[in-house]
Amino acid sequence: MIAVPRFRDLPVTVRVPLITAALMIVLAVVASQSVLGALGRVQDARLSETARLHVQGLSVALGPSVLRQDVWEVYDILDRARLASDGQRLLLTVVADERGRVLAATDPRRAPVGHTAAAFETAAVAPEALRMTGDPVLRVTSPLQYQGRTIGAIVTELDVTDLLAERRQVTLWLLAGNALATGLLAFGGWLAVARILRPVGALVQAMDTSGGAPRPIPQAAIPHGDPGLARLIETYNQMTTAVEERAEAERRLADRERFVSLGRLSSSLAHEVNNPLGGLLNAADTIRTYADRPEVVRQSAELMQRGLAHLRDVTRAILDQNRLDRAGQPLRPEDFEDLRLLFEPEAQSRKLALAWEVQAGAAALASQPAAPVRQVTLNLLLNAGAAAAQGGQVGLGVSNGGDRLSIAVSNTGAPMTESDLARLMASGPLPPGGGVGLRLVHDIVAGLGGSLHHDRAEGRTVIRVDLPAAGQTHA
Amino acid sequence: MTSWTAFELRFDGISGKGQSCLWQGGWRAQPRGHGEQVQTRRSAILTGAAFCAAPMVAAQTGAPFRFALTPVFLDNDAAVIFALRQALGEAMGREIELVQRRTYQEITGALLDGSVDAAWTCGYPYLQHREKLSLLGVPVWRGAPLYRSYLIVAADDKASNLADLQGGAHAFSDPDSNSGYLVTASDLARTGATPEGFFSRSIFTYGHRNVVRAVAGGLTRSGSVDGYVWEVLDSVEPELTAQTRVVARSEELGFPPFVARSDRMAEDGVTACMAALQGLDQVDKGREVLRLLFLDAVAAAEPALFDGIAARMAALAGG
Repeated sequence: MIAVPRFRDLPVTVRVPLITAALMIVLAVVASQSVLGALGRVQDARLSETARLHVQGLSVALGPSVLRQDVWEVYDILDRARLASDGQRLLLTVVADERGRVLAATDPRRAPVGHTAAAFETAAVAPEALRMTGDPVLRVTSPLQYQGRTIGAIVTELDVTDLLAERRQVTLWLLAGNALATGLLAFGGWLAVARILRPVGALVQAMDTSGGAPRPIPQAAIPHGDPGLARLIETYNQMTTAVEERAEAERRLADRERFVSLGRLSSSLAHEVNNPLGGLLNAADTIRTYADRPEVVRQSAELMQRGLAHLRDVTRAILDQNRLDRAGQPLRPEDFEDLRLLFEPEAQSRKLALAWEVQAGAAALASQPAAPVRQVTLNLLLNAGAAAAQGGQVGLGVSNGGDRLSIAVSNTGAPMTESDLARLMASGPLPPGGGVGLRLVHDIVAGLGGSLHHDRAEGRTVIRVDLPAAGQTHA
Repeated sequence: MTSWTAFELRFDGISGKGQSCLWQGGWRAQPRGHGEQVQTRRSAILTGAAFCAAPMVAAQTGAPFRFALTPVFLDNDAAVIFALRQALGEAMGREIELVQRRTYQEITGALLDGSVDAAWTCGYPYLQHREKLSLLGVPVWRGAPLYRSYLIVAADDKASNLADLQGGAHAFSDPDSNSGYLVTASDLARTGATPEGFFSRSIFTYGHRNVVRAVAGGLTRSGSVDGYVWEVLDSVEPELTAQTRVVARSEELGFPPFVARSDRMAEDGVTACMAALQGLDQVDKGREVLRLLFLDAVAAAEPALFDGIAARMAALAGG
């Protein structure tokens, strides 16, 4: 079954020509009605006049004969009148005496002399009141006046088959002509309106098929003859450029954000690198000074080895955070260790109490991609760290329940602002001001098919990310 | 004359044109003949006026010879009337005034009171006034001065004789017509019936052609009509007679005669009229009249020719 679209759901380029055509059809119907009405009035007048003349002429001629009840004379007059009218129109004329009995008729077999004429007077009207009723045979009656008194009546049957046929034919021609004219006009109207609306159609199509990336309309398709439409399309083209530029800017901003989060860690990481360096230099100095004391050399070498190992771990964590070729690798518990390594110096510099609890096993973590989850978690931790005042608390909880992995980041301190919540939770336009880190979290979680939950209770803000197990994500 | 004129005008007023008539078919068959005829007649009158003015004035008494015709028998057709007036006028050497009346009674009355000089009437009125009227001549039709009365019904009527027609409406032509009334009335009288009792309704149409029209149109079931008129109609208006069927034909009876008052038979005009009538077949214009009337000649006749009609009159009186 084909679904018929509702009229208001049709495109404007179809609706307007349809309305034009419908108006033309209405116009044609009204015009046809008017012509048919005029024809009907002309026919009625003609018919009424024919009947009136016929009855009047007969009244004058029949008077004396009817008064004398002369059957032959009455018949003779009727018969001659019938012959004179060539038998057209006048089907039957019956003359009745004052008692209502047939005195004579043009067809005595239908109206035998002496029989009652009442049957012929049913549905008969006066000549002046004669109208076309659609019946092929109409009856007219008129009293027969002679010397000031009524001496009988005349009833005439009129054959209006030809008038009906004429009316039918006129109706048919009118309908056919009007249908043709209306069809042509409606088609012409369609073409004209469709041509006028073509730029609008192009505009609608450009917006429909853009798939979120509006496509500009070429200059050749802009109707410069219509200033309003031209301005509309030019404005649209400007908007498409603006949208493209904004999307490009957002993309570049998102790329940069990864480095920004590291940038924010750079000073604490510099400390992290600098602190072992002092110990390492001391150890190197000790080895040079006590080169002949093997136990001191060995002790200093061990010290140097631990310091270098720490440096190696920090640099690896930074590299891993920014390596693009790790995109397909699964999440491991070591990733959270890396994050702790990256975030701890920041927490220490702010004297934050860190509650780190990774309960989920390696198997549960492996169902998630490493890079996006690290990015999301690091961003949330950095925000939590910034939100928690000096000496506050920041917590990370990773757990798996059922078919999903939950990562909850909590912090004490001021609650999130409306604009921050809007960045994190909603997918609407980016509110002005602020960074794009929270929006990036939102976009990445949405990309993984997960969901974000915000909770604020007892002075703590909790952001929970629920990620579905592998197989249910696009990765 | 006034009543006839009124009658004519009334008809013309209704139909809006000249009424059709018995002879119209014959007349229409030869329109050129009529045109020539009128022209010839006009020429003759003009010629006569130019060369014979003096003798004409001397010969005529000043008044035209008045000759009566009845539409009961002869419908008022211009061609026949012109031809007859021309033929008689030429043969008699004086102007002829043709007088038409609606009924035989009016013709007979006019004849008896002297307002007309001669008349073409029916055997029945002639016999009704036998002692006052004399024969000027009798037309010869199909070789004999005889004709029949026909009893007619509609073509689809199953009646086979007069008895079958009881209870239906009947059309007579004239109460003084032999073929159009006397024959049927006397037939009924012989069975002890009267037209009023036998038929549901009887109407008089005052014209034999009208009887045929009444029966053909269904106004009456049956009609009594002049056999000669029916036969002539059958050849000039076959579509009319085809709607009727002859149920019964009477015996042969004397053809409607030309008559004049017996006490005027010796007058010049009447004798000239008799001679002119009986000599119609001898002159061109007379033969034209006879051709238009479908007659052979006008012959002298004895009153005994109408014995058959007299017998029917006796039967009617006796019934």
